[in-house]
This record gives sequence, structure tokens and C-alpha cells, in this order.
Amino acid sequence: MTVGVLALLLIASLSAGAPAISIQLEGGVFKVAGWNAPSSAPARGWESVFAVYTGPADAPPLLGTYTVERATLQFHPRFPFAAGMRYRAIFRSSAGGAPIEKIFDGPPAATVAEARIESVYPSAPVLPSNILRLYVYFSAPMSRGEAAAHLHILDSKGKVLEGIFLPGEELWDPAGRRLTMTFDPGRIKRGLTSNQAMGPPIAEGKLYTLVIDRAWRDARGVPMTEGLRKTFRGGPAIRMPPDPKTWRIAPPQAGASGGLTIAFPEPMNYALLQRMIEVRGPRGVVPGTVSIGHDEMEWRFNPRDRWEAGSYRVVVDTAIEDLAGNHIGQPFDIDVFEHVTEHIATQTISLPFAITR
Amino acid sequence: MSKTVIRLAAGLFLAALVVFTTAGATDNLMPGKVDLKSAGALAFGPDGILFIGDSVAGSVMAVDTNDRTPARGATKIDVQGIDVKIAALVGVAPDQIMINDVKVNPVSKNAWLSASRGRGADAAPLIVRVDAAGAVTILPLDNVRHSSVSLTDAPVANPAARQNPRMMTITDMSYVNGNLMVAGLSNEEWSSALRSIPYPFQNAKEGATLQIWHSSHGRYETESPVRTFVPYSIAGKQYILAAYTCTPLVKIAVSDLKPGAKVKGVTIADLGSGNQPLDMIPYRKDGHDYILVANSSLGVVKLRADSLETYPAIDSPTTVDVAGVPYDKIGALKNVQQMAQLDAGDALILTGKPGTGPAWNRGAPVGPISLETIALP
Repeated sequence: MTVGVLALLLIASLSAGAPAISIQLEGGVFKVAGWNAPSSAPARGWESVFAVYTGPADAPPLLGTYTVERATLQFHPRFPFAAGMRYRAIFRSSAGGAPIEKIFDGPPAATVAEARIESVYPSAPVLPSNILRLYVYFSAPMSRGEAAAHLHILDSKGKVLEGIFLPGEELWDPAGRRLTMTFDPGRIKRGLTSNQAMGPPIAEGKLYTLVIDRAWRDARGVPMTEGLRKTFRGGPAIRMPPDPKTWRIAPPQAGASGGLTIAFPEPMNYALLQRMIEVRGPRGVVPGTVSIGHDEMEWRFNPRDRWEAGSYRVVVDTAIEDLAGNHIGQPFDIDVFEHVTEHIATQTISLPFAITR
Repeated sequence: MSKTVIRLAAGLFLAALVVFTTAGATDNLMPGKVDLKSAGALAFGPDGILFIGDSVAGSVMAVDTNDRTPARGATKIDVQGIDVKIAALVGVAPDQIMINDVKVNPVSKNAWLSASRGRGADAAPLIVRVDAAGAVTILPLDNVRHSSVSLTDAPVANPAARQNPRMMTITDMSYVNGNLMVAGLSNEEWSSALRSIPYPFQNAKEGATLQIWHSSHGRYETESPVRTFVPYSIAGKQYILAAYTCTPLVKIAVSDLKPGAKVKGVTIADLGSGNQPLDMIPYRKDGHDYILVANSSLGVVKLRADSLETYPAIDSPTTVDVAGVPYDKIGALKNVQQMAQLDAGDALILTGKPGTGPAWNRGAPVGPISLETIALP
């Protein structure tokens, strides 16, 4: 009976020439066309009349704001459209009747793999058994929260090493392109339960493979073009902090445009090399570009302008670290009995050199 | 009788103190758009002020939640599939919602969550409120009273360099005695200071930065970033209980936290290898003190924390650092990702299914994610 009445009403309204109600999507705005919207919201809000859903049936509708323009009700979602999402817009007339529903698809989800691993540091083939950090550079922004599933270190038999990284910790740069992984410091720091029970994360003389799966999704949700396998051997632990007295500075000639290089006797932390060393000359900080080579045992500086004759100095932040987290004047774990090092309280040290004609 | 009078007087004094310290707590907040780049660690300050750690911007934002209506009676929050609900509100698939922290407003007993809409660098930060009725709302950030403080040092020397990759991930925050304490991990250098920033914010540099050290067997000392911490009172003295990234749980007297100080925490427990404490709740039940600790690998454990003041400082090489506060594993609580105290006897936990990593490091639990109330064990 009710259905019959509704059908009759519908036929009556159609025959009266009223435009059919339809839902349209224009410029990111959902509109109810063909319905003469009142100027103010009904008691239960516009949401009771018109709402857009992306979730399951019992989930709340999308957040957004409503406007009425020329008697047309419009819904402006608060957040931009997401790739691969399906939008279900539903109009429920306050006059009753069956809801009008229309489906819209958001922009298509990306499917073409683009991201790859550009580089991994440290790059040396032998890494100290007390290695503290690993940097992975990706060519594109990546999805967070996937390192536990997709980054592993295998032993020489191909078995995944357990408990090697700080669990649950992914440190990213703001662009989402560089991941810093931290080896479990509890296994590196001497005297702790983890160190005594499990030993350092890497054993001297053993062969290992760093494996990063292709399945790691980029920020668009697409796996990489290829994974990475990098083999390295465990080396002796590094317990001595970096000592700038052992660094060799090779200054160029005056008038030259060539670079200045500093050679270290051991590999240094790649990220810190980028920003913890600078060159100061007669006119203050010398502008130029930094590049790192020779398995992070060489720091190269190319000045923007030609070198002038005069006194220069390389200024180094004492917080600069080697691969084991030792920094100038302070080892990662200080042995308070042996006093192997003097304590350096300054924040920077200076290495003078001269440019001669 | 006289006891009652003293108690009453003490109560009035405390009330006066609370009024004195909270009056004006929101006065310095200016209305406008909150320019958050990310939303991570959360902490509640006085008067419904929510502190939001923004690791990408390198700052902490204080926002006025306007959530100041005291809870009526006991609160119980239970929302199954909270990731699905948040995803539906902001129009993404549930796996694109990352919940970064959960805290309870001590006044209203509403739960506040920080989350990301998306998993990439362009993820939008979300501040989510969940009330006792289970209603999930997202705080609009376009006109909120707020103020912020920068944690970063001077800008990078070379402005031509591409976006500075250095970032300190704020891992935990807590408001203690008028100061916001901020722990973080750098993605480049190992040493990370624990900062203590006076609130209302003026300049982070005016706050104390503390080098936190850890000593094992009184012999090896390491500068150790603090991963998570909680204010705690032991025998009338104010401490913070802190968990390092290298597993031990330590106590640090707040009176030791002076600007520039080199502070050594006193180890009270070592929860073992391959594990990271994530959240801690100190509580008292049936006349005993406990600390509930959620861990990355070990699950949830309950430390029996009576007489913590008797645990001696490590000051001699013969002292063993595995002081061994006894603990019990709470096997019923699985895949706990976040934990926050709701009231004296209850806690909120955020749980999911095991992550997809190997057994020793599952990674964050995956959806559906639930926010539920449990009685403190």
C-alpha cells in the first residue's frame, strides 16, 4: 500500500514537470541539483539530508562544510580527495522517499612503480661490530611504518638476524626520503644485559647481507622498482673517538678553483659530515659545496669562488661521529676506569691551514 | 577534629594554589590557524591545554582544547575500529591512518589522539577527540587559540641546500611543575638532550637542556636519549621515571634537572634485550605501588614499585645495574600500542593485530585498531 502511494506521488511529481533530483560533483564540491534547498539547515543538520561516505555502512560520513547557493545544497569536504577512494553521496529528502545515492570515484590510485633505493650508508664493505646507525636514501617519499617488515640483515647462511635494530623505531627526514635505522644500543653499550646476553649486533669476521624488500611501498602506496641486497663483513669494534690530529688536510693553491680535501683514517657518519665541518677564511665562512667519498673517509669541499691567499681553518663540530657513535673527545661508552681519552668540553675545534701563492 | 581542620586548610591551600597556577594558563594563546606539520607526542597541561609535538616543524604547539567540562562520575571509553572511524571522517583507507599518541584530558576524561592522514611525508596531522559516548571528532585547526615554541637551533648555514634532512623525533612529553619536558631522538647524531621548557612559552633556549647519561656496572657511561618518561613521586620526592632507548628503566630526581646539568639516571630495572618501553603508568592499588609498562617486544609488564626509594644509586663499580624491581607479565594485554591513565583505577589502551614484521620486531600493530578501557591490573 505505502509503496503504491509513494509510486503514485513520484509519478505525480514527475508528471508535474519537477526536475529530477540528482547528485553532482563539480570542482571537488558535491551538489544536490533539482532540489530546492531551504536557506537554513534542518533541525538535525544538513548531514541528515545529504552526506558523503567513504567508509563502511556503520562509519561516520566525511567531514566538511555545507553551503546553499541559489537554492542548491553543496558539500565541501574538509580534506582533499584521496587516490583510489570511492565516494558514496546520499541524499535523503526531508519529505521522505527513497534515498538518492550516487557513487563517484576519486583520482585513480597510482600503480606504476617509481621508487628505488638510491644509496645506503655506511658504504664501506667492512662495518664495525659496534655500528650504531644506517642511512637508507630513497628516490621518492616512502610510506612510514614498514621498516620492521621490509628491512633485514641476514647472516652468512641467509637467516634473518633477530633483535638487531632498535625495535619499533623508524627515524625519517621531513621529506620521507631518508630513513635512519638504529642498531640496538643495548647490545652495543658494554655492561648491559643485552650486550652480555646477545653480544654486539655484528660479529667481527662474519659475512652479512642487508636486505631491503621491493614490497616496501612508497608514499603513494606502490612498491619499489627493485629491492636491495648489500653484503658486508663485520670488523673490529671502534672504541676510540675520532681524533682530528690524525686527519690530513690537503689545501689547494691560491687562485685555484679546486677543492680542499680532508682524509680521515676511518669512515665517518655520512649525514653528520654534510653539516658539521665548515671552512672559514679571511672573509668568514667560505661558501661552497660538500661532497663525501672514499667510503666516507674523505670530505671534499669545492668553494664557490677561487681561493684567495691567506689563513684559513677547518672548523669541526665536536659532535661529529664515526660509525659507532663515538664523537670527538667522547667515546660512545666511556670506560671510566681506563680514562682512554681526555674530555673535550668545547663545541668546535679548529684545524688551521694556509693557502699560499 | 584538629586533623580535619588541618586537612581542610591544606585542601583550601591546594585549591588556591591550583587556581593561582592555572589562572591565565590560556591567556597567552592567540586565536588563528594552527600550522601543524605533523602531530606526534601529546601531553596535557593546565586548564585543558594540549601540547602537541610537531617533529617535522621542530616545535611544540600548545592549543586550547576548550575541553574543560569536568567528567561526571566514572568514564569508560570503548571504540572498536577507531582507525576505520577516523579514516571515514577524513576520506582515506584505514591503513592510511597512523595513530601516534593517546592521552587523557585529566579534567574531562576525554581521550585525545594524534594521528596522520597518510603514511608519506605529506600526511596531514589530525588531533582527534573521543568522548565517553564513543563520539569521534576531529579538532578543526583553522581557528584555535594556540602558541608554539621552536626546538630547533639556528637555521641551517647553507640555505641553498635542499630541505634540511635533520629532524628530532619527539618521543614523549610531560608537563611537570610548570615546565614541559620534551624527550626526543635525532635522526643524525646520537646525543639528544632532554629539554625542560617553562610554560607559558617564551623561548625554548631559556629552558634547561639536560644531558642524560646511563652507567652500567658503574664503569661504562653512555649519553642516552630518553625514549619515554613519566612524572613520579617517591617517598615525597618528585622524580621522573625514564626509559632509555637501551632498555633500562631509571629514576631521575627532578631537583637534579638543572640547566646544562649532566644527569645520571639510577637504574631500577632492566627489562631485557631487544625491547623498548613505549608508555608507562604509575598507579596505586590495594595499598601497593605499581608501574604498568607497555613495551615494543615484551608486551605489558607490571613492576612492583613499593619502596623504590630503597634502590641505591650506582656509584661504585661493584654495583650491579640489574637492580631488578620485580615485575609480572600481563599476558592478557596483547599488541598494546599506546597506553594512558584514565583515572585512579583504569587505563586506556590502543591495540591492534600484530604488525607484519618478524616475531622479535612486529612493528606497530595493524588495524582494526581499538581504543578501550581496562581496569589497572
